[in-house]
Amino acid sequence: MRNMFTGNFENSVNLMRSMLKRDKMYIIIWVVLLVAFSALLAPGVNAMFPDEEARLTVVQIYDNPLMISMMGPIYGKDAPGGFPAGAMYSGFMLVWVILAVSVMNLFYVVRNTRGDEERGRAEVVRSLPVGRLANLNATMLSALIMNTALGLFTGLGIAVMGVEGIGFGGSMLYGLVLGLSGQIFAAITAVFCQLSASPSGAASLSGITLGALYMVRGAGDSAGNDFLACLSPMGLASRSQIYVENYIWPSLVIILLTVIITALAFRLNTIRDLGQGFIAAKPGRAEAKKSMLSPFGLSWRLLRTGLIAWVIIMFMTAASYGSVLGDLPKFIGDSPEYLQVIGIPEAMLDVMSDDAKAEIIVTYFMAFISMMMTLVCIVPAILAAMKPRSEEREGRAEHIIARVVSRWKYMCGFVTLAFILSVIMQFAVAFGLYSVTESILETNPIVFSELLKAYLVYLPAVWVMIGFAVFITGLLPKASSAVWGFYGFVAFLSFIGGMVDLPEVIKGISPMHHIPQLSPTQLPLGELSYPPLIILTVIAAVLTVAGFYFYGKRDTLTGM
Amino acid sequence: MSKASLEITNLTKKFGKFTALNDINLKVTEGEVFGYIGPNGAGKTTTIRVLLGILQATKGQAKVFGLDAWKDAVEIHKRIAYVPGDVNLWPNMTGGEVIDLFVSLRGKHNKTRREKLLKDFDLDPTKKCRTYSKGNRQKVALIAAFASDADLFILDEPTSGLDPLMEQIFQECVLEQKNNGKGVFLSSHILSEVERLCDRVGIIREGKLVETGTLAEMRHLTRNTIHVETEKIVEGFESFKGIFDLKQKQNILTFQVDGNEIGAVMAHLTQHNIKKLESTPPTLEDLFMLHYDTKGG
Repeated sequence: MRNMFTGNFENSVNLMRSMLKRDKMYIIIWVVLLVAFSALLAPGVNAMFPDEEARLTVVQIYDNPLMISMMGPIYGKDAPGGFPAGAMYSGFMLVWVILAVSVMNLFYVVRNTRGDEERGRAEVVRSLPVGRLANLNATMLSALIMNTALGLFTGLGIAVMGVEGIGFGGSMLYGLVLGLSGQIFAAITAVFCQLSASPSGAASLSGITLGALYMVRGAGDSAGNDFLACLSPMGLASRSQIYVENYIWPSLVIILLTVIITALAFRLNTIRDLGQGFIAAKPGRAEAKKSMLSPFGLSWRLLRTGLIAWVIIMFMTAASYGSVLGDLPKFIGDSPEYLQVIGIPEAMLDVMSDDAKAEIIVTYFMAFISMMMTLVCIVPAILAAMKPRSEEREGRAEHIIARVVSRWKYMCGFVTLAFILSVIMQFAVAFGLYSVTESILETNPIVFSELLKAYLVYLPAVWVMIGFAVFITGLLPKASSAVWGFYGFVAFLSFIGGMVDLPEVIKGISPMHHIPQLSPTQLPLGELSYPPLIILTVIAAVLTVAGFYFYGKRDTLTGM
Repeated sequence: MSKASLEITNLTKKFGKFTALNDINLKVTEGEVFGYIGPNGAGKTTTIRVLLGILQATKGQAKVFGLDAWKDAVEIHKRIAYVPGDVNLWPNMTGGEVIDLFVSLRGKHNKTRREKLLKDFDLDPTKKCRTYSKGNRQKVALIAAFASDADLFILDEPTSGLDPLMEQIFQECVLEQKNNGKGVFLSSHILSEVERLCDRVGIIREGKLVETGTLAEMRHLTRNTIHVETEKIVEGFESFKGIFDLKQKQNILTFQVDGNEIGAVMAHLTQHNIKKLESTPPTLEDLFMLHYDTKGG
């Protein structure tokens, strides 16, 4: 029996080395991005809000249940030495960064456990003199290395910035809490990888759990219920009160929980078979629903889950933006930089009453975010329009067009959905914003029909983007990344367009540039003029038709 | 003269500079089972994709039922069923859903046939495609094809992942279609399968069709292996025309002989009083190897 223990873990370290080697890029990219994000934003707090008073004003705005439920509690407002910049930094950042770190761990664990099993690699490894638990053990150990690196570099990175009020001890605790939060989520994912028999099953169960932990924490934080919040690692992490009290006990609790959860994953791994899970894959439909038995039905079946998720997410994002509108005038009324970003001439605000000022700020802010929101809404529309290309590459388009379906009809399902989706997304965002403003603003200056118009006016630009995606799919299928390149260019121009003077010719390449920003209130803002909208629509139509034409004429490229 | 179901004339397909198919000429008559054999990368799948209108011919023509494979693809597809060699399915759909989708995108749905095939091929239609092995994914495509009411079945290495039992079921399905007068275009690696099922065979190598014909015709052109025992010892046999690979142990001879020399050789041997004679026709494998090893025809 002596070998029972060592035998199970045989060769773990070798496996771990090979994992680190093969996932080198995954780890490096995630860690570098996260460290850079945390470190580079640290000086921003002091730059934007140099004194305690400014910080307290901002925090006051965010001190409503909705924002706290999204970001977590902010401590130290009445700290004896004054409200430290660090408290604001960690209050705004910690929960979000933990979410990102959890996602990093989620995919890392899934791909190295279930992913390897599904692809049959685990079987090859198992046939070597390798212990039964070695693979899971190696995954957890390499995750620990990844999280340690993340925590250490984040802590050092923030400390190196030397920001006043963001001290060394607090920064290292911040890093430690991040690393530990990552590791506990690696352990949670490892448990789900034992329960579910497929990588996507394990990933979605872990993802849902992450969402649930975030919400439990949000509910606890916003209601001031510490116990409820502490049921989630994110709630525990917040309770460290980093840069204020720098408590260590939450970290100890997280370590203890991580050990228990990891042990559970190991236990489950020993008693299951390779490739099997505890949650039996429930049998699916033996027969297809009538509704999916057409080219259009198939495209809906393939896209629906993603599309519905996008609509819901954008609705909620819009609602959360709407929720800050009430406090917005106080927040940005006196910040010339902010006014410039959203495009209000400072002089406009000088001679007005507070109410009139508020209305102007709300109007301009809403117009500004309408562009941002639309940019995000373009993403799922492009994804839908390019689906035929990815299906083609995977060799699945062949099944369909080798049957009694013409190429055009095949492509038509996806492209139609992309266009329909583009309209639904604009509606969803407008509804999302309005649903909250109505209850939050005492005197709501927003007129729903105007707000809707302000969003729908972007549609011709969105359609040009869809048309471009169709065009590339038809003419240059191997250059599909050009679509994302163009999208990046358009997004870039949209953001810096208001701040930098660029030649009109360059700005004009972006379809977004030709869309007027309409006022969602009764205040006048951009003027609605039809010719550019009509021209954009025509361009979109030409691109789409040309895309179809070329798609019908070219070879179907399986695997290319 | 029966009508041609497939007719390929001077077909060339290039991918950039690479020539995948080089001047192929091929005719398959209706109701015929045609075996299309060749090693990996020879151009079998490319030929099939051109026939299906998935790829466009660079030069030449491919016609199915007298219609242009590229221009009239949809019209043609109403009468054919296709099984790709590498069956890639949607991981989150069940096998049953995919079968129904495939069948309904062709036309009529024959439910009893679907159930029978599911049973014969022993496939659980309620499982998601991500859980299927290669063989099971192939079964999905095969069931969808054989449940269809097609006149021509185009099958691209359809059995490479099937176990021998399922291979048997597959062969029965093909023979059933053949008996119903349906045509089959079968690209395959498994020569015994081709030998058993196919009326005619085409061999493709490096994009060129090197041989077509019935197995009998092909055998006629090639050498039989003869094993003979005579009473009198045969002398000077090696100088005979058309004799190859001669091995002689006193009165026992083993050799290969060209088809058109066999009469003269036998006449000579008879003079030495044949005691025992075995003649083995070349297997398809021999034919195949002949084309690939010696690069001769």
